[in-house]
Parts: sequence; structure tokens; C-alpha cells
Amino acid sequence: MGIKTMLILISLAVLDASARPISYSGGHTLMMFSDNMKDSIYYHFSPTYKFSVGIETIKDHYFDDNYSFLRGTYLVNRKNTQHSQRNLYIQSGISIEDISSNFYGIHGDWETRRWFVGFGLKKLSNKTIDYDQQHAQLGVAPYLGEYGDLHTWIMIKTKKNSLNGDWSTYPVFKFFKGNALIEFGYNNKTEWDAHYMYRF
Amino acid sequence: MKLAITILFLLSSSKAIASDHSHDHMNHSDIMHHSHDGHLHEELVDGQKLEVDPERFDRFVANLTDAQVAVVSVKGMVCDFCARGIEKTFQKDKSVKKIDVDLSKGKVLVAFDKNAAINFEDIKKKILANGQNATGIQVLSI
Repeated sequence: MGIKTMLILISLAVLDASARPISYSGGHTLMMFSDNMKDSIYYHFSPTYKFSVGIETIKDHYFDDNYSFLRGTYLVNRKNTQHSQRNLYIQSGISIEDISSNFYGIHGDWETRRWFVGFGLKKLSNKTIDYDQQHAQLGVAPYLGEYGDLHTWIMIKTKKNSLNGDWSTYPVFKFFKGNALIEFGYNNKTEWDAHYMYRF
Repeated sequence: MKLAITILFLLSSSKAIASDHSHDHMNHSDIMHHSHDGHLHEELVDGQKLEVDPERFDRFVANLTDAQVAVVSVKGMVCDFCARGIEKTFQKDKSVKKIDVDLSKGKVLVAFDKNAAINFEDIKKKILANGQNATGIQVLSI
């Protein structure tokens, strides 16, 4: 898909955004993610707001492989204030096909209605190699929408995958409305990242 | 995959646009009577300040009759996406007639049936199930 087409689709969209790895108690979440390394579909269920369990199916472009992870995420710490929320999560997953393929990681965020700061570290193993992923993200909401409006975030993301080596830094646009969220990032080296989330 | 993601988002956000975000469906001691005179929704009849966007509140109560409105103060409600669960949780309560969220003031507005018993501890549990903290409540009789 060309950049122009993608931009047109984005501009046509009447959207809204804020991603969390755990939903509300009893909540279901469907996520789809695509970048130069993988395409994935991830479903999780949150028995409480403290943890979620789910399954992620991955088409791995780097290793030219398809596999699935059973995943879990736990909210280690949350601090709610009148105008902000801070979160720290741990996560892990194990391949259904081969238990030597697994990962664990930590990520955190702090946000107000205007500002967002987040980071993540993830260690992954498979039968041939161990590697890691790191990212950090800083965002600002250009306007403060009310409940039910389209919400927009303009972000800058920097990430590194030890399989590729260097850090790459690029802009990310995030939109959410209602129960749906979409995020696009563009990097001239890795091209498009796209992330969709729907809660129900 | 990226095209599928985009189409899915367009479809799901369109569904959200089509629905009203204030959803009609479906022994607290500090009950106060609410004055409709002159739409003075910033102040209750006992002089206490109502800390909610007056225009949003007016829209919320516009078609309400025989109801009690709980204005719940919530900490950590910093985004629309993370407040969605609050709405979903309260929608399961049959005595709830309508729900809205005032993100700018950190308030959740819940309209209950006139005869419903409003229990702040129960409300706190519902808010906590979404990962936020309810810190106070004002109940108005409409």
C-alpha cells in the first residue's frame, strides 16, 4: 500500500487512542500489529484489571516462520492521581509449538491527558538465537478531546531490535475513538508500523 | 495486514460514531435536590459546588426524569479509551439509566432509577474494576 493511500485513509478516518496491555475486569481485547519484523494477531482476556492472558499468532518475517505464543501480562504497579496515571507491567509468553521459544519483558508508561511517556524492554529466545527489543515513546495530544470524541496523539518513538542493531527513531500517529485504537509509525528504514486495538 | 488494520479501524470507529456516547439503556446520605432554574448546574440548592462541566451536565440531565444522578470523582481517568470499561461496568446494572464521563473534571455521571439505593462502596468497586479510584460522590435528585 502506498504512502499516499495510507495517508488518505488516515485523514478520512474519524478516530480516537491509548494502548494498554490489560483491559478492565472481564474485558476482551483484539490487537493486530504489523511492521518489518512480523505480522501478529493477539487476543487477550482480563479477569481483573491486574492481569491478562491471551494468545498471539505471529508471522515472523525475519525468521520466515509462523508460531503462536501463550501470553500473560501483570500490572505490577499503578499510581492514579487526579491528572495522571503511571503503570508498570511485566509480561511473558511461551510458544505453543516449542517451549524453547519464549519471551519476558517489562514496560511502563506515564500519561496525562496532554502528555505520554512510555518504554519497553523484551528478551526473546528461540531455538537458534536469543535477542532483545527495546523502545521508548514520547507523545503529546495536540488537543484535548472529550469523552466520545476522536482523540489524537503525535508521538516520537525510538526502538532497537538486537537482530538489526541500530536504534531507529520515527514519528507515530495514534488515534482512538470509542473502543477502537489505531497507531501508525513511519521509518524510512523499516517503513510502516501499524497497530490496531479493539476492546469489547 | 496493514490494509486490514486500517479497514478494521475505520469500521470499528464508524460504529462508535453512529452510537451516542451518552448511552440510554437499560442509602446514599448526601442526596441533594438539583435546581433546574436558570440552568444553574454549577451550584446545588444547598450552596455546594458541583464540580462538573455545566454544559455536559445539562446535556446529561436534559431528558431525565424521576432519576438520581451520581457525580463520582475519579482519579486516574486520563483518557477516553481507559474510561470505556467504567461505562461498560455500570451498563450491567439494571438500575442505571444513563452514563457519561467528564474527562476534563475527572467525573463519572451515572443516572440511577429514582428508587435505587446508591451505595458508594459498590461504586468504588466498579470503578476499581476498571483500574481507577473513586474518591468522592455527590448525588442529585432530578
